[in-house]
Amino acid sequence: MKNQLKAVWQFFFGDSARAFGSVSLILLVLLAISPAKNHFSQWRHYQKQYLHLIRGRADAVTLERHFQGGIQQIWIPEQQVTDRCTTCHLGLKEASLADVSAVAFRKHPVVPHSLTEFGCTTCHRGQGAATTVEEAHNSTEQWEQPLLPAKYIEAGCGQCHLEKPTATPFLNQGRDLISSNGCTHCHTIKRGDGTYILPDDDPPSLKHIADKTTREWIYAWIKDPQAYAGTATMPNYHLRDDDARDISAFVISQSTALQPPIQPGQTDTKPAEDPAAGTSLYGQSFCASCHAMQNAAGILVGGNVGPELTGIGTKAKPEWLQDWVANPNHYDPGTMMPHYRFDATQVATLAGFLESKTEPDLVANVHLDPATSPQIEHGKKLVVENGCASCHEINGIKKPENFAPELSRIGSKPLSQLLFVEGVEHTLPGYVAAKVRSPRAFGPSLKMPQFNLTPLQIDAITTALLAQTDRSQTQPPAMRIASVQQTKYEPAGHAGQLMGDLRCLTCHVINGHGGDMAPDLTWEGTAVQREWLTQFLKNPETLRPALIRRMPKFNLTDAEITTLADYMMTVYQTPQFDRDSLPVSEFSPAVVEQGRQLFYSKFACQSCHIADYAKDKGYIGPALAGTGKRFYAAWIYHWLQDPQSLRPGTIEPNQHMTDDEARSLTAFLMSLNATGSKEATKK
Amino acid sequence: MSDPKDFVAVLDSDARRTPRRIAFITKRTSPQVRVKDEDRVMTYPEVFFRAAVAIEVLAIALVVISLRWNAPLEELANPMHTPNPAKAPWYFLGLQELLHYFPPVVAGVLIPGLVVMALIIIPYFNINVEAEGLWLRNRSRRLRIFGLVVVVFCIFLAVFDVWVALAPTIIVAAFMLLAARTDPQTAQGFQQWLVRKPLSFWIMTWFLVELFVLTAIGTFFRGPGWSWVLPWRA
Amino acid sequence: MANTLDQLVEQVRENRIWRSIFRSGTGASNLHRALFVQQNVFLHLFSVKARKRTVGFSATWYLGALTFGTFLILVITGILLMLYYHPSVPQAYADMKDLQFVVSSGVFLRNLHRWSAHAMVFLVFAHMFKVFYRGAYRPPREFNWVIGVVLLLVTLLLSYTGYLLPWDQLAYWAVTVGSNIASAVPVMGSKIRFLMLGGTAVNANALLRFYVLHCVILPFTATLLVAIHFWRIRKDGGIYAGEPATKGKSE
Repeated sequence: MKNQLKAVWQFFFGDSARAFGSVSLILLVLLAISPAKNHFSQWRHYQKQYLHLIRGRADAVTLERHFQGGIQQIWIPEQQVTDRCTTCHLGLKEASLADVSAVAFRKHPVVPHSLTEFGCTTCHRGQGAATTVEEAHNSTEQWEQPLLPAKYIEAGCGQCHLEKPTATPFLNQGRDLISSNGCTHCHTIKRGDGTYILPDDDPPSLKHIADKTTREWIYAWIKDPQAYAGTATMPNYHLRDDDARDISAFVISQSTALQPPIQPGQTDTKPAEDPAAGTSLYGQSFCASCHAMQNAAGILVGGNVGPELTGIGTKAKPEWLQDWVANPNHYDPGTMMPHYRFDATQVATLAGFLESKTEPDLVANVHLDPATSPQIEHGKKLVVENGCASCHEINGIKKPENFAPELSRIGSKPLSQLLFVEGVEHTLPGYVAAKVRSPRAFGPSLKMPQFNLTPLQIDAITTALLAQTDRSQTQPPAMRIASVQQTKYEPAGHAGQLMGDLRCLTCHVINGHGGDMAPDLTWEGTAVQREWLTQFLKNPETLRPALIRRMPKFNLTDAEITTLADYMMTVYQTPQFDRDSLPVSEFSPAVVEQGRQLFYSKFACQSCHIADYAKDKGYIGPALAGTGKRFYAAWIYHWLQDPQSLRPGTIEPNQHMTDDEARSLTAFLMSLNATGSKEATKK
Repeated sequence: MSDPKDFVAVLDSDARRTPRRIAFITKRTSPQVRVKDEDRVMTYPEVFFRAAVAIEVLAIALVVISLRWNAPLEELANPMHTPNPAKAPWYFLGLQELLHYFPPVVAGVLIPGLVVMALIIIPYFNINVEAEGLWLRNRSRRLRIFGLVVVVFCIFLAVFDVWVALAPTIIVAAFMLLAARTDPQTAQGFQQWLVRKPLSFWIMTWFLVELFVLTAIGTFFRGPGWSWVLPWRA
Repeated sequence: MANTLDQLVEQVRENRIWRSIFRSGTGASNLHRALFVQQNVFLHLFSVKARKRTVGFSATWYLGALTFGTFLILVITGILLMLYYHPSVPQAYADMKDLQFVVSSGVFLRNLHRWSAHAMVFLVFAHMFKVFYRGAYRPPREFNWVIGVVLLLVTLLLSYTGYLLPWDQLAYWAVTVGSNIASAVPVMGSKIRFLMLGGTAVNANALLRFYVLHCVILPFTATLLVAIHFWRIRKDGGIYAGEPATKGKSE
């Protein structure tokens, strides 16, 4: 045996020439391994599987004709896209493969973008050039941006879409939450078009805070804002007791008295006798359109424009409440709240009603000794450290600049620059979501406070943040769908002042500026008749039965109404047509009847609108029973032909009516002359 | 050549593995042969095939490594994102380690410049060529000189906190001391080997150890901010 | 079997065409073997015979030959890699991806090139230390030692310039660190750095410059120096065998 082995060794390695030959052979064999490996590559395996799949299907011939073997790629140099995903994902365009159980071969869901024009990684991320599962999908040393998890997929859309596409509700919600939680008070978030995501939570100024509330309430509030009101936007800083004590001391010490000062409670004016008067005035004034309040059953009712009022009596001093209800402009000239023209009794009634809404438990156990100057000094230090002035105006403290890291490109941040902690998924989305969920989990010394967000809201914000990629910042402008920018429009003159005082733009949009709660008034002068407008301003009636939010009654004087109506009828006219160009007298009864047919049968308008309170149940759009007294015929006629041209973004569909149809329908609508609302008719 | 019987000119004679050398001696020369003829082999095939096999074995090793481990490739270069630590190729990590202690002009220019200069001039110094054992002559005087040099150098390193370079220096110095205290007449084995080593050996060995230690530390034991890390904890 | 194979080989080597190319002819005699070396343009740098003591493994550990071997591998794989590589930003990185995912055996080529490059740097150092400890720098080989030191520097430069070419984070920052050291040179530091990078920062210009250095200037320099290095081994009396085992006696 040993001799045999020796003989074999001698044969192969006996002398240097033989050894050379043998070793050369080994080397050649080894060199052949690499080309052989190519033959067994992963993507070939997937292509075989795919062929196997389609051969078992009814339309095998068609599918096989579409199939192209070898490495496939979508190459879009100007977008730096080289996507080889279609090498394995072969059925993305095959309509008949929508039901396939293997995700890899399933048809791509319908999206407005063509695969060949946008590629895959533009939206999904991941490594497009890769042809192995691991490299293409996951985060590796070579490629840190893994495939975007399905729940954040709308972040892909948000790179180009700066407006709010209807198909991406999650992304839109996230962006709104970033604004409404005031994230961008501290973090700068620049969008691709150079604009910034601005906060719209409107945190109150603390310059005169001592006029409004007590130090005890401030102490309780900053310790846990959500204990006072579950809907509070202010995040929880997890302050220690003495820190909260010192901050409250400092804030109160910096507060100056309002000029002119708030009058002490007017004792001569008594609230209304009726105990229900307060509740009823609160309701009549539609306070709930903006403010929420817990009802007797503990259910929160109302809007989220203004702060929750459940415990307002504990928070606000009585004389401040009276002053505020009488005229909010006095305390806060920048408030969104309109100036209701309440008389003294109404002020006392409403203020009294609000005062009764207390949460005594909140401050019951708060006993603060008078502040010492070291405490105030320490409070100042804490206020600066925590960046309170990023959101709130505080006397003597400057708003810090770039208080928190900029997040404009957070969606492309390399993992190597992130510090992960135990329990956080080692991916960028995992990191961002964890950071939004509980910032202090990344270290107790971190400044970012705890926000009050639901898991879905956290995912929405994460989606919006992940859209802030390098690509979103650097791509050519042609790729971008611009956001709708608010204009700086303010109405002018005496009427403008009046409209400012009434905060019309808190709810209405005019010339691209204002809120989204009530109709766009840009062309109101062309739309409605002056008579109707005057009546409406005097006593707003409900036009949209489905809405809780309604136009409140402001108790305007006749002179004020005349000023407003004059201004609106003159200034808010569309240049597209003349409101008097279609006199009602032109319509014959036959045309009206024709219009009625169109209304009820061809266009089925009654599904959304009410033409007759007795019969119709359309609750989506405004009631049309009083159209003849409200609108100009010309407006209706043009509106029916192209609603979006008169009010961009309206949900009224464009039915592409012929000229005759629009004319007949206008004739019918102008014949509707019911007065008042549904309730009024019933009575 | 006049007498053909003196030589038999034969092609293709393998009779002797080593050619016989012939010296034509005139009467005025007094020849002295210092080097004896020694065995020679044909370059082809002996040397070439051996070299070829050696190269092929290396190639086989490299092919196997290449089939098994992929060459590192990271993300696309991005001047905005500095990795921490940013490391040079491994063979420069010794220098980068020194950069941590000395100003760039010393660690990056002076030291490598001196090393290259020193390497170039090695063969031009007779002391290197003769390569006499360092401790075979003038022992006590040399011990004083080198003792002083080593101590001054160690203090210099300690002042700059270069402990990683100090440790190998001390180790090499310890071996030098061991050699210096060895009696060349009676020493055995390792000590006898050590005592015959010339100055150039000591300097080069010190350089090799420093090179090895510094490169290893820079490669394996340095993490973010050039702080100490343990490679198995990464 | 073996005989017929030998006969076949013999026939091929006796062939007129073969003989027109390789003149040494057949035969296992020392003359044929000597002619084989002498008459080959590449091999005639070497002497026909070598001292037996220098041929064994222990004398040199074959470190010089192995270094040359890695150089050969690097030239071959390097030329193949050049077929797929564009020295431009960011195409260079995309080419790495293509090598990895699309080019047949592309990963293997790149791996072999990379690992061989590391091996070469290591072997050059090892070769130098081995030569030093054997004392092979002694006259008349002083200048060949100097050429060796220059070759060490050329090897380091080859490796360093090649390091940038993938244009990934590793490459970019390694070269940035290195080029910052260059700027520490007194007086002309920033000028040297500018010359080295073709600009004030590591960018597309630096990539192109490193590419030309890596693929043209340095390999040619290395080839030339290696040729001289080898040639001088012969001219300086073959591979250094150390002091003869026995001191010669007068005959």
